[in-house]
Amino acid sequence: MIRHALAEGWLLFRQRWPISVTLALALAIPVCLVGFTVTLTGWLKPLAEATGEAQVVPILLHPHMDEGQRQAWLDDLATRHPDWKIRRVPPEELARRLVHWFPYLSDLLKGDSGGLLPPLVEVSAKDPSELDDLAGSPAVIAIGPRSSLRRFVEVAVTRAGWLLGLVSLVLLACTGLLVAIWVHLELYRHGDEITIMRLVGATEATIRGPFLVAIAIPAGVAGALAIAGTIGLTTVFTRLAAALGLPPLAPNAALLVGQVVVAVALPLAAAGFTLARHAVTEIEG
Amino acid sequence: MECRRHADPRIGRTPSVIRLRGLVKQYEARRVLHDIDLHVEAGEFIFLTGPSGAGKSTLLRLLYAAEKPTEGEVWVAGSRVDQLARSRLPALRRKIGVIFQDFKLLRRKTVMENITFVLRFHGLAPREAHKRAYLVLKRLGLHHRQSAYPDALSGGEQQRVAIARALAYQPRLILADEPTGNLDADLAAELLSLLCDINYQGATVVVATHDHSLLESIPARSLVLGGGTIEYDGSWPP
Repeated sequence: MIRHALAEGWLLFRQRWPISVTLALALAIPVCLVGFTVTLTGWLKPLAEATGEAQVVPILLHPHMDEGQRQAWLDDLATRHPDWKIRRVPPEELARRLVHWFPYLSDLLKGDSGGLLPPLVEVSAKDPSELDDLAGSPAVIAIGPRSSLRRFVEVAVTRAGWLLGLVSLVLLACTGLLVAIWVHLELYRHGDEITIMRLVGATEATIRGPFLVAIAIPAGVAGALAIAGTIGLTTVFTRLAAALGLPPLAPNAALLVGQVVVAVALPLAAAGFTLARHAVTEIEG
Repeated sequence: MECRRHADPRIGRTPSVIRLRGLVKQYEARRVLHDIDLHVEAGEFIFLTGPSGAGKSTLLRLLYAAEKPTEGEVWVAGSRVDQLARSRLPALRRKIGVIFQDFKLLRRKTVMENITFVLRFHGLAPREAHKRAYLVLKRLGLHHRQSAYPDALSGGEQQRVAIARALAYQPRLILADEPTGNLDADLAAELLSLLCDINYQGATVVVATHDHSLLESIPARSLVLGGGTIEYDGSWPP
């Protein structure tokens, strides 16, 4: 019966190839989008770690201050602003962040534990503009951005991730619906044939096999297209990032496998569900 | 022409192939069958007759589980059909050869494929299925049309293909719904002869027909349906 399923499934696919191609594309695009979103989110994760909450402002302290003076200055700051949260960033972490965004610094910063880099502290404040006064302090050599622009960028990046994810999910749901409608129409078109097959003793597996094969073909193509699309998008993005000296994007192998699984499993599940519903309606209806 | 009407009395009572108890079938307010009790032993040849709308086809549909009764029990080949799980229906239907009134041939398959397709469900290898299908088609005089599609056949030829499909896997129970409806007298006689042969080999045959001349052609148990019940059960003519 496997031969029957393959032969009939291939026939169904060929007879309805424009729909099959549309289905493959409709499936590939959201799966590709999900893959790219996940890759991009992973790439942006260090930025989110570096910035943390919206109110975190990095402050570079003067390297010529000794540890005692530095601690006294920080204690004074904490006393005057009890609502601020002050955190000393270890030099290794600062080096890691720099290397992430500027990979060409890796050799320079390798093994450096604070020799080259000035001490960094992060201050969490509800209103970052309150830190403006610190700019005139002799202990401070630089203060990070305190405008809301960075916060806006972070929020925009996070929300764009969510939006892309949501759009992908909606597209995937639409594709599932498209598959279900396609199967439903094909079942309607082959209704007499299916009834005859049931009456002469064909098992449900024999009846459903061709439909599942006809769906599995564009689903497999969609999986391949989704992988190609994700790799293509990340390659383009990597080129743009490289021009800015930023690290490359690389999709995870597990993610690519997951894309194929989703691309194949989703339409098969939709088709299986529709076929099962049809069988119940036909036999018991 | 003679068929094996009843089991050999020396062997004793044979197991029942069909048993109906208090069968009722109702479509909304219309009661088609009611209080049907029937017992058919293995190896019997039965004519099911009655006027149009008497419920002959409905009774057959209940036997091959295309419909469920409103009330009562339907037993076929030892299985209670009305309570059979959906997953077990194919196995039951593979024990029954059904000759449908409207043929129910697969339009996209050739004559040969229509038969071999069913034989494959029964586990026959492609070559064996082809061989057996050819023999049945030859017997029904259709071997020369094995590559034709159903739409290219006449009504009588389509009916013979439907018969060939039902007989090819040698089922123990054959249900035929107006099998001679599209056949001329000679072919009808040939078909009846074929069914008799199969019955003689031990299969139970139930033929639904409104053609009384068929009933007269062979001595067999006849059931007359009327008003939703079995009005007569015995040899023909009453």
